[in-house]
Amino acid sequence: MQKVFNNKMAIFLFVFPGILLFALTFLVPIVLSAYYSFRDTLSPGTPSAFIGFANYTELLFHDSRFWLALRNAVLLGLGFILIQHPIAIFFAIMLDRLGGKAEKWFRTIFFIPCVISVVVISKMWLSLLDPTFGAFNKMLDSLGLGFLKHAWLGDSSTALISMLFILIWAGFGWGLLFYYAGLKGIPDDMYEAASLDGASGFRLHWRITVPLLSPVITVQITLAMITALKQMETVFLTTNGGPGDSTQFLAVYLYNKAFSASQYGYANAISILFIIVCLLATYLSNKLTRSDATEF
Amino acid sequence: MAMNSKSTRNILLVTALAAVSVLSACGGGNDKNNNAGSGTNGGTAGSADKEVTLRLFSNLPDRKSGQGLAEQMVIDNYIKANPNVKIDIETLAEEPFKNKLKAYMASNEALDVTMVHGGAELNTLVQAGYVKELNPAEYEGDTYKFLPGVYKSFTFNDKLYGLPRNSDYEVIYYNKKLFDDNGIKIPSTYAELLEAGKQFRAKGIEPMSMNGKDLWSFAAFFQDLVVRLTGDQNLMLDAVAKKKNFTGDENFTKAAELLAQARDTKLFQESFMTADYGASQNLFTQGRAAMWYMGSWEAGMATNDKLPEDFRNNVNVLKFPVVEGGKGKDTDLLAWNGGGYSLVSSSKHPEEAKKFFDYMMSADQWAKIVWDTGAAVPAQKYELSGKESELQKQLTEVLTGATSTAGSIALDSGTPKFKDDAQNAFGKFFAGGSTPQQLLADLQKAAETQ
Repeated sequence: MQKVFNNKMAIFLFVFPGILLFALTFLVPIVLSAYYSFRDTLSPGTPSAFIGFANYTELLFHDSRFWLALRNAVLLGLGFILIQHPIAIFFAIMLDRLGGKAEKWFRTIFFIPCVISVVVISKMWLSLLDPTFGAFNKMLDSLGLGFLKHAWLGDSSTALISMLFILIWAGFGWGLLFYYAGLKGIPDDMYEAASLDGASGFRLHWRITVPLLSPVITVQITLAMITALKQMETVFLTTNGGPGDSTQFLAVYLYNKAFSASQYGYANAISILFIIVCLLATYLSNKLTRSDATEF
Repeated sequence: MAMNSKSTRNILLVTALAAVSVLSACGGGNDKNNNAGSGTNGGTAGSADKEVTLRLFSNLPDRKSGQGLAEQMVIDNYIKANPNVKIDIETLAEEPFKNKLKAYMASNEALDVTMVHGGAELNTLVQAGYVKELNPAEYEGDTYKFLPGVYKSFTFNDKLYGLPRNSDYEVIYYNKKLFDDNGIKIPSTYAELLEAGKQFRAKGIEPMSMNGKDLWSFAAFFQDLVVRLTGDQNLMLDAVAKKKNFTGDENFTKAAELLAQARDTKLFQESFMTADYGASQNLFTQGRAAMWYMGSWEAGMATNDKLPEDFRNNVNVLKFPVVEGGKGKDTDLLAWNGGGYSLVSSSKHPEEAKKFFDYMMSADQWAKIVWDTGAAVPAQKYELSGKESELQKQLTEVLTGATSTAGSIALDSGTPKFKDDAQNAFGKFFAGGSTPQQLLADLQKAAETQ
């Protein structure tokens, strides 16, 4: 056996299929995407002309929709980090405290949105938020808050907020699960020691839980930024970026440019910038949240 | 040891070959199927007696009613007459259909006949060389009976690339019962339309259902207003073609202001910006909206037994109302030819495909069947069978009474990029963001940068 692993040919033989698959499904498409981003083309294989960086200059300096989509993605990422995650941590702690059957019950209930298909979630919220027959407005009515009734997803002033709400709601279970698992890994004697020293309640968690969870938080923040940037399905299915451009996100914009507007080269330029932004976001969030791993 | 390394080299070679052939098989999977399907053809394609399998791609997934049934009947008729031909039909709903057709175009998939959308969508296929040029002279005469001017959306650089299957025109469907029960006058002028809208809204009924999420209806509505104001069917098409300007033209300004009135008096249902086609139709067919701004292809609503009977008995057609002081008449019709069929260049059986295509487009096939079943209004001359629904008769009157037609919907007369940009301009306008002047400026920019 040892001899086989010393044989360079054998090693290559084992690794080659993996590399080949990786190259064909990952590297080649990216290279092709870069190639098409310098061209003015309707779709791959159709006549096209080399236009240099024209797609990029148009995108970066003249395309306000691109910047709007990017801004919305950043807002969504911040929404995840500043709203969803604190709530998720809070509920994870509560859940951890609960114990017994109730813990299992609530754990399941909180996770339900994550196992429902995105299509179902989108259609459900579209109906719930519908101004004529939606349950949400009816509920406001019955609470005597009829003056707050609104076309939530149909009005450009509330569409983005409503969209953020749906996405935060839908992804909540994942965040909760990660933090919950992280909490389970913190030994109880840490808390005992801290409470002997006089820490309790919020202070206890601020000083013990949050620092000990920091590796999980770091990963979660990076994931949140990536999730926000590549957000596609829910937006596509509910508002398709509208009304107007108020809920435009990068992936939806890219899709529409490639397949509705037949600007394939332009869409590829977006996808290349998209990759760069994702890498940048990952790098930054890692840099900003890096802390020395806490040993316990 | 030497022996050993030699054998590993052999294994490597075999693996690499296997990997490559597996991958290439994936890529050309469909070709393989095709070859298998026409394997019995034995290289004598075109001979009428050999078995041939043709591939048809269509946007009509429902094969049991409406246009899907009509298409299926044409196919069945053809197979009966030509037992050596098999027809493989692939159908997808509208949006997935459009996307897959683009994917087929990109990979030069060997379809034989495909459904196409005239105008911008077909333009993309033409530019990619995916569809075949047709000779219009072949389709003259009594076998086909095409109405004059129906090739406009299928013609690019004076060359014809497909044939239309329907005459499409915009009307306002209305629910007579809702008007009668609430004592509201059926509008014949634009001011009356807005007034009816206010009255319905006061009664808690949605005045007009609109598929705002799809955006294209707004552009049609705007084009209708322009024609009512000017009586000029070409003004808007000329603006898209950059022969005129959207900005600084008093007619366009007036039309945009009228459009703003519809927005500001809340003529459309409350959530119109999130309503897609189906949602806007449901609202109307369930009797929750009094009117629906939609095309003639919905003639089948009156005979669709899945819809409430009460609705079916009360659905009627209204011409787009005239504008006070405008030069246009209510018989100036926003009519064009949207859907049709094209022959695909990469077809493996070009002769058989053309035979089938010609058969399908002959007047006693698609046109006759689609009219007799009440599924749509064809682009060819047809005889009234006497069994038409009331709605069909009204729609026929609208078309036969038309004194002028547009030939093309402005949104589709530019490039796909123009369509996207223009739709976005209307989206911005109706989402509350922009003024009439802003809308026109955006349309102008869309026309200039297409």
